[in-house]
Amino acid sequence: MFPYAEATWDVVDGAMFMGWGSALPGLTTAIAAIICVVVLVVGQGSETAKAKRFDK
Amino acid sequence: MEEQIAELTARLAELEAASGGGSVTNTMFAETFYYLSIPLMIIIHAGFLAYEMGASRLKNVLSSGVKNILAFAFMIPTFYFFGWWVYWGFPTGIPGDPGPAGISGIEYANAIAWGWGESAQYMGPNIADQASGVFFGAFALFAATTASIMSGAVIERIQTVGFIILAVVLGSFAWVVAAAWGWHADGWLVTQWGVHDFGAAGLVHAVAGFFALGVLINLGPRIGKFNSDGSANHIPGHNMPLTVTGLMLIIVGFWGFLMACVIVPGEAWSWYADKPTTIYGTPITLSALSFNILMSIAGGIIGAWIMTRDPFWMMSGALAGIISCASGLDIYYPALAFIIAFSAGVILKPAADALEKMGIDDAVGAVTVHGTIGLYGVVMLGIWGAGFPALQGAAGEAPTISLIGQIVGAVVFFLCGFVPGYVVSLILKMMGMLRIREGAELAGMDVVKVPNAGYPEWGGDAPVTPAE
Repeated sequence: MFPYAEATWDVVDGAMFMGWGSALPGLTTAIAAIICVVVLVVGQGSETAKAKRFDK
Repeated sequence: MEEQIAELTARLAELEAASGGGSVTNTMFAETFYYLSIPLMIIIHAGFLAYEMGASRLKNVLSSGVKNILAFAFMIPTFYFFGWWVYWGFPTGIPGDPGPAGISGIEYANAIAWGWGESAQYMGPNIADQASGVFFGAFALFAATTASIMSGAVIERIQTVGFIILAVVLGSFAWVVAAAWGWHADGWLVTQWGVHDFGAAGLVHAVAGFFALGVLINLGPRIGKFNSDGSANHIPGHNMPLTVTGLMLIIVGFWGFLMACVIVPGEAWSWYADKPTTIYGTPITLSALSFNILMSIAGGIIGAWIMTRDPFWMMSGALAGIISCASGLDIYYPALAFIIAFSAGVILKPAADALEKMGIDDAVGAVTVHGTIGLYGVVMLGIWGAGFPALQGAAGEAPTISLIGQIVGAVVFFLCGFVPGYVVSLILKMMGMLRIREGAELAGMDVVKVPNAGYPEWGGDAPVTPAE
């Protein structure tokens, strides 16, 4: 996953994170965003279901 | 012509003066940087103090605080007496030969880290050495952090002196050995296996977490924790808001902890004159830390929230988020850090429940948050960071991060924590110095250990929590 051809820091003069230059940054950003949305949907569903138990 | 030469000479002198000034500024920055990390890391201790006291029942609230404060107090001198020496003496292993970077080995440690003889000049005020004290201070606070991690797990039934002995073994020896091996340019785990643990997920958190596990096995659960059929009862602390606030304070202090993991330019021992590095000499920026710490806190909280909805576990999830990414905070992509931290938040509570099912009473989840998640973080870096140079050096000469290397590191960190924790607590148990007597535990530790009451209006022996 080292984003440069040679495994040495001497050649690094810019971005130095995993997946730089590949699809990984975009893919992980999309997955992170999806996680946020899914968590909110699931959270809303379960909270509503629990709240309904207290309806008179 | 002569006029021009004189002008150039004057200009050159100006430039030299400016360059000297820059160097002084850089040195002052380095010293100030570490100096400021010390009070920030003391906030970690304040957080653990609030966390533990809140997680204790009313009858034990002050004794939990006393234990934590004393751990800090004993950690500093013992780290001064021998912990600092261990760190510099044994990176290459036993018997303490010098390593290739020339900053390790028994002889080197004897020269700079003893509080007597010639080496004492580096262990006290010295106009020619303005950095050793602040660097020592940052390391001593790492030691105090390890003791605090163990402290929370053992509340409400441990003897004070027995606990302090354990804290000293952990903070001034066990984690220091792990740091020498895996957090030093000459460390054998680094040079031979390419172990990379920038933010000390393994060598601080996992070592402390599994040290606590070793102690808990011998210490046993609190009275009333488990039923005769093996099922567990929840023993609520007396003040959840205090616990949650303490956890948030730990998060604040983590910024100091992680900034102290950076080697800044400006000192004789800095890797470069103009850029910060990790302790391995590999590049890092404060931007990397900011991006990845924030994203990992968020991921951990969200993962724990969806699993538990409990603020205690959500803030523990924040800690777990940081710890799960700590090994690679220098090189993770922020969104990847978020995903890893989220997964740590998700597995946190099930892992704690599994431990409880094994009969272990970890009052604050320290074994899981710091131990299990610490190792998880070390291994995760082996999966995602394989191929990154783990150490400064030319291609082919510097070891690279690998899954096998990180697994080896994880196993060593586990053993560095668990073995001394188990063995020393077993010896203390045999000597009758580990667990408080049953009657005192039932009466409450505060009436035995502390000449004061946490909440005098409610009495020191209130049978129920204020909320009830």
